[in-house]
Amino acid sequence: MELNSIPRLAPGCRLHPTESVLLIPEGTLNLTGPTREILRMLDGKRNVTDVVTDLLQQFEGADAVEVQRDVLGLLDRLQQRGVVRT
Amino acid sequence: MTSSNAISPLSTPLSLIAEVTHRCPLHCLYCSNPLEMQRAETELSTEDWRRVFHQAAQMGVLHLHLTGGEPLARRDLPELIRAGRDAGLYVNMITSGVGMTEERLATLVESGLEHLQLSFQDLEETSANHIAGTRAHAIKLALVPVLKRFHLAFTINLVVHRMNLDRLAEFIALAEDLHPDRLEIAHVQYYGWALKNRSLLMPTQEQVERSIPIVEAAKERLKGKIHVEAVFPDYFGSFPKACVGGWGRQMMLIDPAGQALPCHSAAIIPGMTFDNVRDHDLAWIWQSSSAFQRFRGDDWMSPTCLSCPRKERDFGGCRCQAFLMTGDPNAIDPVCSLSPHHDLLKDLRISDPEVLPIWRD
Ligand code: SF4
Ligand code: SF4
Repeated sequence: MELNSIPRLAPGCRLHPTESVLLIPEGTLNLTGPTREILRMLDGKRNVTDVVTDLLQQFEGADAVEVQRDVLGLLDRLQQRGVVRT
Repeated sequence: MTSSNAISPLSTPLSLIAEVTHRCPLHCLYCSNPLEMQRAETELSTEDWRRVFHQAAQMGVLHLHLTGGEPLARRDLPELIRAGRDAGLYVNMITSGVGMTEERLATLVESGLEHLQLSFQDLEETSANHIAGTRAHAIKLALVPVLKRFHLAFTINLVVHRMNLDRLAEFIALAEDLHPDRLEIAHVQYYGWALKNRSLLMPTQEQVERSIPIVEAAKERLKGKIHVEAVFPDYFGSFPKACVGGWGRQMMLIDPAGQALPCHSAAIIPGMTFDNVRDHDLAWIWQSSSAFQRFRGDDWMSPTCLSCPRKERDFGGCRCQAFLMTGDPNAIDPVCSLSPHHDLLKDLRISDPEVLPIWRD
């Protein structure tokens, strides 16, 4: 996952309309913290930098370097799990 | 005997397995038509299923698994998928692929199908004496590139057993070439099988042990490309696995005629009666149906399980296995080393890889 990657949810993966849960084939992933918010931003247009910028606006005072590292880490993990693609 | 820690009696089901039909196009040629018609006649209507899906979603169910028979045998399959989605469920479908065309698939995806699972009994040209299997196999292979054109998750399910487990690496490589999103490696389930079939199909301990690093290596290698999930049989362990999340704890199965079952093979256990979604609300069945209540919680457990801290993890193991092997559905699952019948399992741990022909018995 790079800053200019455009991540999106893999086919057959979607956010539960109300709960902090990602519905995936044969199962669910419970989403913690701002994960749901981050996944909601993956519209196939925004790249990782755009997502980070949006988050920094929402969470005023958050450390940009930290947010960037966390977002990249999270998306990497979800990509390894097969639920996010670039 | 006091329990060390009571198991919560009622939880929310997560999955609804909808066996929408027992009809299967593969057997059409051999089935007499009247029988077919009769069977089809007992099937729940579109409207029944719509109601069931709605009730399931209300109860908190997230996943709907459309299965059969062959779900494609139902002409209202697109409506069933749409009904599942309208109710708010995630819609999975398990198919043999026989009867699928690009047009039909397009309709199913348009109706809201999200995940399709295709099972392969083998990934090799099967021998000529398995003609029916070979035909289905070719159909499945031809279907894969069509599937890839649609936006839906696609799982290949490899069914492994004694006769093919040694070729697992080869299987995985072939499945990989088909580029599924997920690859499931599932052992044949023996609950419905007689012991003689079990000795034919059940892999040896050595085979299972050899297969574990192969699966682990595939998981690592395919990370980010194909999600690999493998379920190993518990025969060789000292403790049983949890019955699919515990009896009456996570899933409900509705058969084509509307009977609600807590487990796909629950009917083998004597004295079971199943309530029907035609007569009852799904929530009532979940809470009060005797079949769901039967092995819920820990009241039914043997003193050994009752005082064992693992009961919250394995719920005393598989009821069907316990019944099949000991004749007592309340018995400790014989897979458990604390079971007085654990030796029965040792007898099944055949280390000689010679395969016994089924007719030799
Ligand atoms: S009782 Fe046994 S066969 Fe039935 S669902 Fe549980 S583990 Fe499976
Ligand atoms: S005694 Fe019962 S609860 Fe304990 S591990 Fe064995 S089967 Fe599970």
